[in-house]
Amino acid sequence: MDEYQEEETAFAVEEVSKIIKESVESAIGGNAYQHSRVHQWTTTVVEQCLSQLSKLGKPFKYIVTCVIMQKNGAGLQTSSACFWDNTTDGSCAVRWENKSMYCIVSVYGLAI
Amino acid sequence: MEEYNSGDEVLFNADEASVSVKECIEGVIGGTDYNQNKVNQWTASIVEHSLTHLVKQGRSFKYIVNCTIMQKSGAGLHTANSCYWDTATDGSCTVRWENRTMYCVVSVFAVAVA
Repeated sequence: MDEYQEEETAFAVEEVSKIIKESVESAIGGNAYQHSRVHQWTTTVVEQCLSQLSKLGKPFKYIVTCVIMQKNGAGLQTSSACFWDNTTDGSCAVRWENKSMYCIVSVYGLAI
Repeated sequence: MEEYNSGDEVLFNADEASVSVKECIEGVIGGTDYNQNKVNQWTASIVEHSLTHLVKQGRSFKYIVNCTIMQKSGAGLHTANSCYWDTATDGSCTVRWENRTMYCVVSVFAVAVA
């Protein structure tokens, strides 16, 4: 009977992915890369994601990271490795771009 | 009586992690130039070695290690992170490293296990 709750406490990748996409669109959708504003944008994206995630009310700790890079021909590579509990923890990464910049947001959820 | 356990074992030690991560970075890409063919191998090596070192410390933490390598070409790069956790026991550390041709940023997040 207790195991029926597992679905509610596993990391919900699709739901989180939707939250990330909406946060990115609302923070930087339609803007061109601007050096003076990018600091504000990364902060807004992570804060919005985090506040939407905590509203889900699930028993998780969250880490949200956001990278914004100007489109200039440079190469960028990111990797991550995690030491956690495979059955309950998870992550989700979303890549977004427009004409002048790339934005990569990663969310890691660790069950309490 | 049971709470005599020294606080160090339960708190994340950011300085120690930072030293360990710098050594991993130097070991993998110290002295090399940005190479598009090798960069994915490099980021994977850096995160794996860093994670192995951290886990060897035997503390009761879950870890997330993130590594970003960017070619130096005048482009702007900005990163931010935000965490929803227990500030008394969890912590993070970020190491920035560069050479003539590339930047490397590694972040370690440590979350205490109940």
